[in-house]
Amino acid sequence: MFDKIIDGFVKTFIAEDRYKMFLNGFWNTIQIAFVATIIGVIIGAIVAIIRVFHKQTGKLVILDKICEIYTTVIRGTPVVVQLLITYNIIFVWSTQAVLIGMIGFGLNSGAYVAEIMRGGINAVDIGQTEAGRSLGLSSFTTMKSIVLPQAIKNVLPAIGNEFISLLKETSIIGFLGVIDLTKAAERVISRTMNVYFPYISIALVYLAVVYGLSYLLKLLERRLAKSDR
Amino acid sequence: MTDNKVIIDVKGLYKTFDGKKMILQGINCQINKGEKIVIIGPSGGGKSTFLRCLNLLEKPTYGEIWVNGKLITPVDPYLHFDVIKASLTYGKMFEKKRAENPIISDEDLSNEIIAEIKENDLLNEKREGRAFKDLVKDIYLNNYIQIDLARQKMGMVFQHFNLFPHMTVKENITFAPVSLKLKTPEEAAKRADELLERVGLLEKADAYPSQLSGGQKQRIAIVRALAMDPEVMLFDEPTSALDPEMVGEVLDLIKQLASEGMTMIVVTHEMGFAREVAERVLFISEGLILEEAPPEQFFNSPKNPRLVQFLQKVL
Repeated sequence: MFDKIIDGFVKTFIAEDRYKMFLNGFWNTIQIAFVATIIGVIIGAIVAIIRVFHKQTGKLVILDKICEIYTTVIRGTPVVVQLLITYNIIFVWSTQAVLIGMIGFGLNSGAYVAEIMRGGINAVDIGQTEAGRSLGLSSFTTMKSIVLPQAIKNVLPAIGNEFISLLKETSIIGFLGVIDLTKAAERVISRTMNVYFPYISIALVYLAVVYGLSYLLKLLERRLAKSDR
Repeated sequence: MTDNKVIIDVKGLYKTFDGKKMILQGINCQINKGEKIVIIGPSGGGKSTFLRCLNLLEKPTYGEIWVNGKLITPVDPYLHFDVIKASLTYGKMFEKKRAENPIISDEDLSNEIIAEIKENDLLNEKREGRAFKDLVKDIYLNNYIQIDLARQKMGMVFQHFNLFPHMTVKENITFAPVSLKLKTPEEAAKRADELLERVGLLEKADAYPSQLSGGQKQRIAIVRALAMDPEVMLFDEPTSALDPEMVGEVLDLIKQLASEGMTMIVVTHEMGFAREVAERVLFISEGLILEEAPPEQFFNSPKNPRLVQFLQKVL
């Protein structure tokens, strides 16, 4: 029994330097999740601001419509389908699957972040905007320095959840042939026929990363909460 | 356009919300430098809307507002006879009426037509021809001031304070002057200290708004407006959200400002304050200024029946 465990461990990680496959997969997962998160936040913030600005002023009609269609389409279709379309149709000339994964997941995440942020911005009392504008600040400065900081503080837990789901969702990037953590486990299994070690160990890795991420978010939340003692 | 004693000039101000409810229906009002105006009236009568129109937190539907001789609203063609006369509608009506009535003098005819156009809202701004359009544009370009610039000189104090909760008291006060590059951070900080000292809240400089009482918050909100060195202060029911024991400290500060010669317009329910501080009291109800008079006359011998009724209820 004990021998079997040792044997499984050796076969999974040590034989033929297979731990390198896991490391490589882990690196791809982290890379994709990290860049996609940044793309998602940028797109999400821009879309949210456009939509709120449109609602407040009635300007930017066309941009607002584009943003609305974007969120509807992204939220209404599975992320796998979006990735396949991005890879096989939009970027058909490119084989940079990792890069396309970043873009695909970023676009996907952007729609969710946008809706979260829009809710967060709308939840900030209109009096804050009025106070900012009444001091002579431009609508841009008021949004950037007065409304957004409060909105972000309110939506941070929801955005954190979004990051966490994004990290876990990247496990389907194998559809594009990228060797991420999950795909690495499958590759190893196809050689060793041992399913326990690869699957359990990658589950633990995901768990550890998510746990670390939650911890960081909690620290950030606590820092931002210093004004409501 | 206006003599330089007048700081705010409101002409023919109308405001409807969503084209339905008429909140303001034709307000004309001039406010002089250094004058203390108190506005009272029943809820829903339009007094807050009027105040908020003065710095364009609400956009007037019709009418013009001039601040320091500068236009902050779009041009309202109905307020300019020469603009009406330049319109195609006027041209057509003039010819038609002239044919009907050859004897009437040009001037009388013109007045008649202008009155009719104003009465029936006959101008369609998009279809009044080049001359009309050019004239409107001309008036606008020669007189307008960008609203953010005008607002820098008009402090506003809100019923619910609206301090920025994510900034300390000091940051609340210095943010706008520094961000607008009106003051260096050092100058702004020094001014903030002076003002805080004056209202007795210097020790709260590094506190956050959530750590202050309502009265303290409102005094900080006043200081925040004062840090912009405004020429006029607008107060929108500054004590209505306060616990009774905190009303006094806020009113005292406003009185102090008044005694220093600050121009101010105060919407309030505090009749005692109105009596004491106001130089002119306006009664706004049903979207109109139904009465305006010095406080003595306003409270002791009101003329408008609606005001008489109102005073009976509140005094």
